[in-house]
Amino acid sequence: MELLKLENVCFSYGKTQVLDRISYTFENGKIYSIIGRSGAGKTTLLSLLSGLSLPSSGSIYYQERNLKKINPYQFRSRYVGVVFQNFNLLTRFTALENVLLSMDISGKKYPNKKRRAYELLEEVGLSRSEADRRVLKLSGGQQQRVAIARALSYEPDLILADEPTGNLDQETQNEILGILKKLAQQGKCVILVTHSPEVAQQSDEVYTLQNMCS
Amino acid sequence: MYIVKNALKNLSRSKGRNSLIGIIVFVIAVSACLGLSIRRASDQAKEEASAALQITAQISIDREQMMQSVQKNAAAGREQTFDRSGFRENFQQTQALTIEELLTYAEASTVQSFDYSLTASVNGSDSFEPVETTESEEEDEDDASDSEAGSTANAAETQPTSPNGRMTEQRGAELPQAPAEEKSKGGFRKGTMGTQGEFTLTGYSSDRAMTDFFNGVCTVTEGQMFAEGTEEYQCVISDELALYNNIDLASNCAITITNPNQEEESYTLTVVGIYHNSQSTVTSGGRMGGFSTSTDPANQIYLSYPALRSILDASQSVAVTETDEQSGSETTTALPGQTAGTYSFATVEDYETFTSEAYELGLSEAYTITSSDVSAYEESLLPLEHLNQMALYFLLVVLGIGAVILIVLNIFSVRERKYEVGVLTAIGMRKYKVSLQFLVETLLVTLLAIVLGAAAGGAASLPVTNSLLESQVEAQQTEEETNSQAFGRSIGGAPGQQAERKPQAAPSSAADHFSDRAGQYISQVDSAMDLTVLLQLLGIGLGLALLASTASIIFIMRYQPLKILANRD
Repeated sequence: MELLKLENVCFSYGKTQVLDRISYTFENGKIYSIIGRSGAGKTTLLSLLSGLSLPSSGSIYYQERNLKKINPYQFRSRYVGVVFQNFNLLTRFTALENVLLSMDISGKKYPNKKRRAYELLEEVGLSRSEADRRVLKLSGGQQQRVAIARALSYEPDLILADEPTGNLDQETQNEILGILKKLAQQGKCVILVTHSPEVAQQSDEVYTLQNMCS
Repeated sequence: MYIVKNALKNLSRSKGRNSLIGIIVFVIAVSACLGLSIRRASDQAKEEASAALQITAQISIDREQMMQSVQKNAAAGREQTFDRSGFRENFQQTQALTIEELLTYAEASTVQSFDYSLTASVNGSDSFEPVETTESEEEDEDDASDSEAGSTANAAETQPTSPNGRMTEQRGAELPQAPAEEKSKGGFRKGTMGTQGEFTLTGYSSDRAMTDFFNGVCTVTEGQMFAEGTEEYQCVISDELALYNNIDLASNCAITITNPNQEEESYTLTVVGIYHNSQSTVTSGGRMGGFSTSTDPANQIYLSYPALRSILDASQSVAVTETDEQSGSETTTALPGQTAGTYSFATVEDYETFTSEAYELGLSEAYTITSSDVSAYEESLLPLEHLNQMALYFLLVVLGIGAVILIVLNIFSVRERKYEVGVLTAIGMRKYKVSLQFLVETLLVTLLAIVLGAAAGGAASLPVTNSLLESQVEAQQTEEETNSQAFGRSIGGAPGQQAERKPQAAPSSAADHFSDRAGQYISQVDSAMDLTVLLQLLGIGLGLALLASTASIIFIMRYQPLKILANRD
């Protein structure tokens, strides 16, 4: 089922063209990789897909609705879960609080939010004691897991992950990829932005971005 | 709800920054609390003083305005000197208000009550003589009326300077001043003041009008006060006068008074009470005892207004009237009387309204309305007013500086938390909700600091207010003492100069009531902090929090999450 569709999407920073007529289609239940050299516009594309910015021209459709017509805050808080490269967690909060806050922002009602948050963190491999720890006191891998749990907390259909395995050891990389694959199997559409061929190989489809400046 | 929870979490996890904001708000709160408390206490003290104040006013001829008018005319006619005869002529043409006119103005809606009195100057008889303190006067007693022919009835009291410094004159309806040469034929020119007698008879319209007996200056020590409004010739006299004339209520209680213009005309009064005047010895303490025995408090005889009116009417009926063939002026031997009215008001505002209301009711511009109570009241509030003003400036400075510091701190705070704003908006939290969270944080810190500040400020406000008020009073008194030393006596118009303020002929009324305290400024307040101050403080806290948050909200609204996160990356 087609979840996200890009039609001739262009994007430029001032006079610098970063993306030129990109047309991709993303479906539920699949894991996608977007690869390209540094500066090819991978992160820019991710910001367009997450609603953090809008294309200069062309359109992005989410469930056949133009993204321009969806409130970006509502889109980010309900329909798309983003795992940022630097995790972007609230450092003064615990892992659990980060997940709970995300659920609160989405406005979705859950009968037992706290329990659900613990379960999510447990699913991504964090124990209760780790869940109650402040983010700053967690390792990079653990923070990545918190970021994934936060992205899943309000059950979005679309998961975007920017370099989800970057700076992680091999074992953790595999664990994270395992989690993402599992999400795709559950029917989610998972889009990974990576420069790692190993990660790309494990995807259902790979889109390669050409560097416009080269 | 989660916004408040987040705010609380942030507060508990950023203790350093929030403590700093809290301390600053606390200092502002204490200072503002002091400022507000001082202002509140000052207002309350003013209200209480105003409520306790018995405000009375009198209507009198505006002599100052009349003099200025004459002077203006003289200047227009290019005359170099003041036109005395013109002034006298003007003055004589202006009739003093009759009791009927005074009663008309008493109908003004703001007038709470109206009391009036009638004063006449009479002589004694062989069996009833005035208390005298000088030998020479006693020796010349028989010639008293002749030697003082040129004096005027109650001359010492008829030309008061009103509290606002305007020269005013009150007098009877038929008593313009007469040249001395016209008063030596046993009678006096009709419309002039008549011959000065040895006693002053004062007839009161009601018990309430006898304020000397209300404020404790006079107390009936023997017998009782005559019945209110009685037409019988009953009176009360001073204990000194009773002793001087061996008057005894049980056996010898009849006194005979005579008309100084017609010695054969006499009236017999029954003394029903003897009073003690606590200020008698003070006022008449000088060796001279005043220029005339009639001004001596010991020689004041009080009776009811109808009784005195009856005496004056009787005198009028037997008066000998003559017309001078040369001048055409008429002379009469009738006892002259002088009417004075005192209007009472509930509030200072009522008095102020009356000052315009009376003119609407037909009072001529030649008259002025004055109240010594209001002036004395305003003077007594001077230190409070100064303190109030000082507190206002202090408050404004504290709030101004406090607001600037808080705004700067908030701007620093929001810049420091820029990343947090970026993350929150990136995961879908709307900017207004982020702003609301920041506002809630500021409000919570501010409220906590305000509560603590209010407690500390409340505890300190009363002693501080009283201490500052004391300093103000001391400063005011020092200034007056310096002036007094320079003059060798108290300064006219300064607090405590009650003789200057007393409305002439008016039965001393509230002027005495207030003059007792005129020299004493309000130097203590009972309470400074109350619910109003708390609410004001709360309002200030909310205002400051909103103001400081506005700056941070502007920043938040301008932030772009993508830029923040990209820069961090």
